[in-house]
Amino acid sequence: MYNTLIKNILTFIGLLLLQVLVFDNIRFGNFIHPVIYVLFIMVLPFKTPHWRLILNGFLMGIVIDIFDGTPGLNAAATTLAAYLRPYVIGIMTRKSELEKKEKPTVELMGFSWFLVYSLIILFFHNFAFFLLEAFSFKLSGVVFLEILISVPVSAFVILLLLYLFKPIKKNKNL
Amino acid sequence: MYNLLVFIKKYNAVLLFLLVEIVCVIMIINSLPYHNRKFVSMSNNISGGIHTMSANVGGYFSLKSENEILSQHNTLLMNELEKRRFPTDTMIHHEKFTYMPAHVISNSINRVNNFILIDRGRLDGVAVDMGVMCDGGVVGKVVNVSNHYASVMSMLNTETILSVRFAGNKNIASVIWESDGYRHGTVKDIPAHLQINDGDTLVTSGFSNSFPAGIMVGTVEDVISSERSDFSEAVMRFSTDFSTLQHVYVIKNNFKAEIDSLCTTH
Repeated sequence: MYNTLIKNILTFIGLLLLQVLVFDNIRFGNFIHPVIYVLFIMVLPFKTPHWRLILNGFLMGIVIDIFDGTPGLNAAATTLAAYLRPYVIGIMTRKSELEKKEKPTVELMGFSWFLVYSLIILFFHNFAFFLLEAFSFKLSGVVFLEILISVPVSAFVILLLLYLFKPIKKNKNL
Repeated sequence: MYNLLVFIKKYNAVLLFLLVEIVCVIMIINSLPYHNRKFVSMSNNISGGIHTMSANVGGYFSLKSENEILSQHNTLLMNELEKRRFPTDTMIHHEKFTYMPAHVISNSINRVNNFILIDRGRLDGVAVDMGVMCDGGVVGKVVNVSNHYASVMSMLNTETILSVRFAGNKNIASVIWESDGYRHGTVKDIPAHLQINDGDTLVTSGFSNSFPAGIMVGTVEDVISSERSDFSEAVMRFSTDFSTLQHVYVIKNNFKAEIDSLCTTH
């Protein structure tokens, strides 16, 4: 129990620092920039209560907001992604399969499953993000196109990170 | 009442979701007209610290090129300033002084006679007697030139004499170095009647052909007035930090030949 908690906290801090210090400095064009912190929501166990998912999403987003100086923006987008997560998983997977597995990772669910999963979650996140940002900035066709590019770029980076930080223990078991 | 509780229990996720989103949207809307001033100030302590840390680390990677750019920019500005100083005739080349950036290759501060080696030489247009300065103030005078390098007699040299002027009252004096540490020089030939205060600024007089007038030399730290002499002395603190010299500028006097020819005919 405590082990998982510490692991989650470390993941949280790690993703936060990676996002703020590394990926926020990477921008191709104006709006394409890899969003990786959503991964925190994506890999929580299947059994996580819905309300806890939402709160975790809000927490992750608001901390990113504090760093980016964009109050509520990331928080709203991540909360939406966290809220929609069970439905996305429900559509993609059979219930019987879910009971056997612990959490949505590449190892347990397979590469293509995880790719589609992350693309959908990231799409919702980015969509909400840019829609809410449009309160203050102009939303044009170009921006929309860039959302569509941002999502696969983020997904690619997330898969790369998962590959890099793959737990070694799992390999021994195989 | 019971029904309400059942409703909340059943739809707790949706309700929580809506509540959180409403909070977020309120935050976004609140931040709009004020450019999230409040929020930013809240974030300054923690995230600002981490951002500063990251900038501090990242800054080192570009430090070298950054310095290069700054030094070039400074040269440009100084040359521009020199052009503004004599805006009389556009037909003739009149900047009296032009500046050339150079790097300090070797430098000493703890000998009796200190010299600085810079990476500009005869081929770059450096000649003997040209002045050398840095952003902090006067550095010294070129005494020897090879094709690619020049040695500069630092202000920290017992043979150096520099004509200076008090920035406040415009009186002339001269600065020498009596090998008492790289921070302090001696101001001599101060007319005894002058009221000198600690902290008075000394700049170059412009009487020598090496330096334009008004370059910072140092500030007075301690006045030593003597009863018998007509001149008093003062301890001066150099504005230049000779221990950390890196980028310097060689000053070329464009009218040196002309002035020299006048002097020899006399």
